Amino acid sequence: MDFAWSEQQRELLDAVGRFASKQLDYDVIANDRDAVFNHDAWKKCGEFGIHGLPVPAEYGGLGMDPLTTVAALERLGYACKDNGLLFSINAHMWTAIIPVLSNGTEAQKKKYLPGLCNGTLIGGNAMSEPNSGSDAFSLSTTAVKKGSTYILNGSKIFVTNGPIADLLVVFVTMDKARGADGLCAFLVEKDSPGLDVSKKIEKMGVRTSPMAEVFFTDCAVPEENLLGKEGAGSFMFTKSMTWERGCILASAVGSMQRLLETSIRYAKERRQGGQSIGKFQRVADKIVNMKLRVQSARHMLYHCAWLRGQREPVYMEAAMAKLHISDCWVKCCEDAIQIRGGYGFMVEYEVERELRDAIGSKLYSGTSEIQRSIIASWLGL
Amino acid sequence: MTQGQSVEKILVPFKSVPDPYAGAAASTSKSVINPFDEIAIEEALQIRERGEATEIVGVTIGAPAVDEQIRAALAMGIDRAVRIDDARALDPYAVARILRALVEKESPQVVIMGKQAVDDDSNQVGQMLAGLLGWPQATFVSKIEFLENKTRARCTRETDGGLEIVAINLPAIITTDLRLNEPRYVSLPGLMKARRKPIETLTCEQLGVTVRPMTTTLSTSSPTRRAAGTRVGSVEELMAKLKQEAKVL
Ligand SMILES: Cc1cc2nc3c(=O)[nH]c(=O)nc-3n(C[C@H](O)[C@H](O)[C@H](O)COP(=O)(O)OP(=O)(O)OC[C@H]3O[C@@H](n4cnc5c(N)ncnc54)[C@H](O)[C@@H]3O)c2cc1C
Repeated sequence: MDFAWSEQQRELLDAVGRFASKQLDYDVIANDRDAVFNHDAWKKCGEFGIHGLPVPAEYGGLGMDPLTTVAALERLGYACKDNGLLFSINAHMWTAIIPVLSNGTEAQKKKYLPGLCNGTLIGGNAMSEPNSGSDAFSLSTTAVKKGSTYILNGSKIFVTNGPIADLLVVFVTMDKARGADGLCAFLVEKDSPGLDVSKKIEKMGVRTSPMAEVFFTDCAVPEENLLGKEGAGSFMFTKSMTWERGCILASAVGSMQRLLETSIRYAKERRQGGQSIGKFQRVADKIVNMKLRVQSARHMLYHCAWLRGQREPVYMEAAMAKLHISDCWVKCCEDAIQIRGGYGFMVEYEVERELRDAIGSKLYSGTSEIQRSIIASWLGL
Repeated sequence: MTQGQSVEKILVPFKSVPDPYAGAAASTSKSVINPFDEIAIEEALQIRERGEATEIVGVTIGAPAVDEQIRAALAMGIDRAVRIDDARALDPYAVARILRALVEKESPQVVIMGKQAVDDDSNQVGQMLAGLLGWPQATFVSKIEFLENKTRARCTRETDGGLEIVAINLPAIITTDLRLNEPRYVSLPGLMKARRKPIETLTCEQLGVTVRPMTTTLSTSSPTRRAAGTRVGSVEELMAKLKQEAKVL
């Protein structure tokens, strides 16, 4: 077993750290308040090469292995406080790029991946519906084939990047009676006739990542935009979901590391009762817990990514990583607030935002309860 | 400006220096490309991107450890690089003599380099190199334009008195000031491409130069730390302190 980075990995990770600390360390308070997406930072990340990290060079990416990719995203999360931007990037990578890369035809990959990799195209994923959330395969948006097009009808909710997306991966049913076996997916371009995107949905956290509802009214999609085969929707969804679960919280680990470091600094500087508060065992314990969480979260993230790099199945590992990291992130944010006392509750101190941002991680890509169900079923329960 | 054939080759000498932005808290001393030289590299890249130059060659002097900064320069976009393998602390004259040998070997039409290195602030190598080669020079440059089929360059210089515009015949040495441009950051695709670009290693012996350090550094020390400031309660208190304690009024 070897935990060391290779020379080339170290060089790449250093470059990501330098890029992020120079280009992405901007003020987030106002953007969070006004729910503003930072297009400029998105563009910089695309040009720098973030979006295309796991995509082979022939499609405009860097061809990095999963472990190097998550480590790079972790560096990004450490230096960039805009969790919403990072969430948008993650949604773009794991719920749009990966499905196209894994299931797309050569023509689809050539058409969309280079733009998705350099950030000139923004991707999103429309699965959830008002009546199907955790029970995702019970969705009811339909597709009917008519000549060389498919006609889509229905609506989707909680579409991350919806208001800004150029391309949506949309899951629909072609035969509700067949349940999961009736599903398929389409690549729907933003200007498709019959596609409507709602205005931005207001959220508790990751407010700088825009989200919308999406409506399909006799929306015609050309047959060459069918992703994978008819009926393969649930299989594709499950497969790309393991990528999503295993990787989407990589930047959260970086964020936790930052929270740990700023909390240590605060605990050393803030004095009460004639000493720095870090000398109080009850404060120090919180920091020790934060350290344990960051470390264990990082190990689960890396291990899952490494396994995937070995082409091993990671269904259970990805669910465990998602469950554990989201839990650790929320707890770290709570501790970071508690350590700062009343100041932690104030917007200016920027940890209340971090908590609001973190809470969503227990909901998207499958709720924590669903991750537990997955783990339990892999344990034979 | 007349459009003519492009300058064939730009040589950019650069130095590896301790990261000036690392801050006192940094545990390990990381090296970076001297910021003024980074500006020189950026300018050469922009000239090439405008179609006014064909090839950019970087050169640095140092131990194998400086390959990291060489790769950073390659990742920014220079075409190839030469490392003169010499780990000694060389003074400006020695550096200029080594660079002269390389200029004679590579025959660039323009040498662009930082006006000084931020670690020793010598501000001499460019001028000495021009002197050794007998080439014209434009120092502290904040703008470069080529003239007359790339036989001359028009350079805007930043001087204490303001801006001075000079025209120099090529080949020439140009040293860069801060305002010339803002260097691009190394992108990951650039970094990957850099791994395939060649780094040539030469020794002073191979270049036919013998250099001996003529200066010995006896000691270096950090400036003494300034005492923390105080907060005053009112304008009156401020005025009183300025008069009585600071004695500036
Ligand atoms: C920030 C954010 C971004 C999102 N982005 C997207 C996106 O881009 N695209 C997209 O399609 N969706 C997106 N979603 C939607 C997300 O995937 C769903 O919210 C999630 O799957 C849960 O579905 P639901 O909200 O309908 O909750 P429900 O499924 O109604 O769940 C309600 C509660 O019941 C529990 N529960 C439900 N079923 C079970 C069960 N079988 N066993 C135990 N407990 C259960 C849940 O855990 C939860 O506590 C996003 C959500 C958030 C918060």
